[in-house]
Amino acid sequence: MTRLPANLLIGAVLVSLVVGAAGLSLIWTPHDPTLMNIRDKFAAPSELHWLGTDQLGRDVVSQLMAGARNSMAVALIAVLLGGSIGVALGLLASAIGGWVEDGVMRLADLGFAFPALLFAIMLAAVFGPSLSNAVLAIAFINIPIFARVARASANQVSTLDYVSAARAAGMSRFAISRDHILPNIAAAVIVQATIEFAVAILAEAALSYLGLGAQPPAASWGRMLAEAQTLLYLAPQLAIYPGLCIVAAVLGFGLLGDGLRDVSDPRLARAR
Amino acid sequence: MFDLQDFTVSFGGHAALRGASLRIDRGDRLGVVGESGSGKSMLALSLIGMVPEAAQLSGQLSIDGRDMSRASERDWQRLRARRVAIIFQEPMAALNPLRRVGETVMEPMLIHEGLSQRAAEAKALALFEEVGIPDPAARLRQFPHQLSGGQRQRVLIALALACDPGLLIADEPTTALDANVALRITDLLVRLAEEREMALVFISHDLAAVARATRDIVVMYGGDMVERGPTQEVLAGPAHPYTRGLLGARPDPLANMAGRGGGRRQRLPTIPGTVPLLRELPQGCRFAGRCPVEVPQCAARVPLATRLGPDRSAACHLLQAEESA
Amino acid sequence: MGYFLFRRTAGFVLTLFAVSAVVFAVMNVLPGDPALTILGLDATDDALAALREQLGLNDPLLTRYFAWIGGALQGDFGVSHSFRVPVSELIAERLPMTLSLAATGMLLTLVVALSLGIGAAARHGRVGDWGVMFLSQVGIAVPAFWLSILLVLLFAVKLRWLPPGGFPGWSDPVAALRSLILPTIALALVQSAVLARVTRSSALEVMRQDFVRTARASGLSRRRVLWRHVLPNALIPIVTIVGMQFAALVTGTIVIENVFYLPGLGRLIFQSIANRDLPTVQALVMLFAAIVVTTNFLVDLLYVLIDPRLKVRA
Repeated sequence: MTRLPANLLIGAVLVSLVVGAAGLSLIWTPHDPTLMNIRDKFAAPSELHWLGTDQLGRDVVSQLMAGARNSMAVALIAVLLGGSIGVALGLLASAIGGWVEDGVMRLADLGFAFPALLFAIMLAAVFGPSLSNAVLAIAFINIPIFARVARASANQVSTLDYVSAARAAGMSRFAISRDHILPNIAAAVIVQATIEFAVAILAEAALSYLGLGAQPPAASWGRMLAEAQTLLYLAPQLAIYPGLCIVAAVLGFGLLGDGLRDVSDPRLARAR
Repeated sequence: MFDLQDFTVSFGGHAALRGASLRIDRGDRLGVVGESGSGKSMLALSLIGMVPEAAQLSGQLSIDGRDMSRASERDWQRLRARRVAIIFQEPMAALNPLRRVGETVMEPMLIHEGLSQRAAEAKALALFEEVGIPDPAARLRQFPHQLSGGQRQRVLIALALACDPGLLIADEPTTALDANVALRITDLLVRLAEEREMALVFISHDLAAVARATRDIVVMYGGDMVERGPTQEVLAGPAHPYTRGLLGARPDPLANMAGRGGGRRQRLPTIPGTVPLLRELPQGCRFAGRCPVEVPQCAARVPLATRLGPDRSAACHLLQAEESA
Repeated sequence: MGYFLFRRTAGFVLTLFAVSAVVFAVMNVLPGDPALTILGLDATDDALAALREQLGLNDPLLTRYFAWIGGALQGDFGVSHSFRVPVSELIAERLPMTLSLAATGMLLTLVVALSLGIGAAARHGRVGDWGVMFLSQVGIAVPAFWLSILLVLLFAVKLRWLPPGGFPGWSDPVAALRSLILPTIALALVQSAVLARVTRSSALEVMRQDFVRTARASGLSRRRVLWRHVLPNALIPIVTIVGMQFAALVTGTIVIENVFYLPGLGRLIFQSIANRDLPTVQALVMLFAAIVVTTNFLVDLLYVLIDPRLKVRA
């Protein structure tokens, strides 16, 4: 029985906790996260409100769970969207090669010039801040990342013997990409996706904190922190919980991604 | 000068070098031969205190009368380059790629001997000439990637000689080099040893090079020193079964040229089996299990060295039996 | 070498133009009517038409683009809708703040990350190494703005040693510096996490190479081997990573300025978003993107300069 690396296990545990909370929130939360009860504001933790309430009397735990759902949804859509486009571009670049490949890679470099925040800022200035803009911005910066990974892996895989054999047998480039190359780069792509998931969660939190993401009253850990910052003297604990959730989620996916990478290609395992 | 007594280097209870006893004096030219895993590299590292940290040491090592058996890294730093120096097998990546080779060679001089910049430069130039690097003044200012493998090895030799050590250990110095470059490096090492009255320990599995370069030889197998003596004597008349096997396995380049369509193709006699892993070596004679003439007690009892002549000995139970017979 | 320089510079300029095109496209093709935004819903059609003419909004897109570029190259970024002053003035006012924050942040990052990374590599496998690994792993997961909030919580709210935000102006240097301490630390710590890990693995890679063994065999002390032989070689891949970090530095500076209410370019961007002040946002986004591209370019050049092996090939 091969011993799984510690980071994989710890990551998996953290991820299950967060994803579990997010999933659970779809059908049940202790209270309605948007329900305000001003009389009960800043309540201390109790059996009714496990972590107390915030400045508007809303249950903290319910908000955290709703925030988890929000983070997961944003990360999932953004990474899926950006990832699919990116992988498609990367495969295209690798399959056709030549100036198409150069062109795609130059475009990718261009994408790297824009941190997600800058893109989100542009979208927000033009369309007004919204969660979908945040998703678009995060998706956008994922495209060059996945394009690079897909192209590099595809280039590696296409030198394998059975791919050359398929080519010699007259298989179309598209079919080769789909049937032979894609499954083989899956490992690298999945590892990257897991890591980008962590990045996306962090990005969404930052954007929501700055007001460019989830708009109130939508639940988001970032937005909760923004509100808590104005109340540091009154209720410092409100600034702690959402931050811990962010760290747990980002750490979880990051460790999971590292662990998957170590497991899928031990040759790439970094010096420990 | 250098005195090893019953020196053992083990990892987790398994000895990579077992009970090594060796004396190296000024001007000695000693060859150490053996396959990979014979312990010859561990012997080299022991003499310069660069054995891996995880190793357990036992036995005695003294240098110029000073006991270095359990010396600290600090103590060794004082001796390295000044009393003993080493060159390794692979010259390609052995020089700092960001430094000009002249600076690399000058560094020990500046640090250990407190020479001025100018004096060190002059000495480095002289060393480059001594090791046969053409156009030394220009070479001093070059970077390692601008030099060929053979030239890099020469630079490494110059570096080793920077503080005029009494002992130079060459661990497979020619293995990574072309045949004729290897020959020249070998001759260079001999010449340097003679001119400087410096002791040379030449470690190699290339028997021809060892024959050329050394006066005495030690044959190693599985961490043991199985035979030793004057190089010519041992190579001409090996006493230990392993040495015999080793010498029998040398290809004779002329054997295949015995005329067209009639020459018998030479088949090299090989020693059956392979060198076992460290932890699988037999407790007694290490060669047991592969030896063509072994007897039952070989695997169980460590053979002692039997004297075969004034400087000659081999460790084999059969020889011991003969002697007492 | 000359040819290499030319090619890289050409690529750099091309990228800058491409970036400007993207910025211009996003901010001018998509949105609604800027004239409406400026004058409000009550404006008459005539006033709107006049303003559109004045702002050159009736010209073809390409003309407007080149007008913008031409102006930008001369330092004219148009006029801010909300502040009614040239954007370049706004930038000039706030640039020093952003620059000092970014510069000190980067400096602190380098000091912390390099020492931790090299230290960890030197103590590979021992407690110090594990500690740094763990800290950096967690550090990567901590958002900069949350760390800032925690720092404020500890040092401003609980201990009351430092101000929780804002900037009192340069007239009182001590107070000014005090208000910059927490922002700089927050910025540096988060960046250090990534850089420390990279430094450590780079150093470990280098330590495995033969020339390190050669250095040790020359009787050089552990310290000398580490700092004079390992570090310079380890820095080469690190320089590339530091270059990539500039994008994070830009993002981080923007975020930190907003967390601590520092009057820099980062705050300006957000004020402009709130005011729908497109020219300002456009100029600032272009500026930041240009900084990222430029630093990447400079790092590329630096890389070739410091590694003698590459000079030959270039």
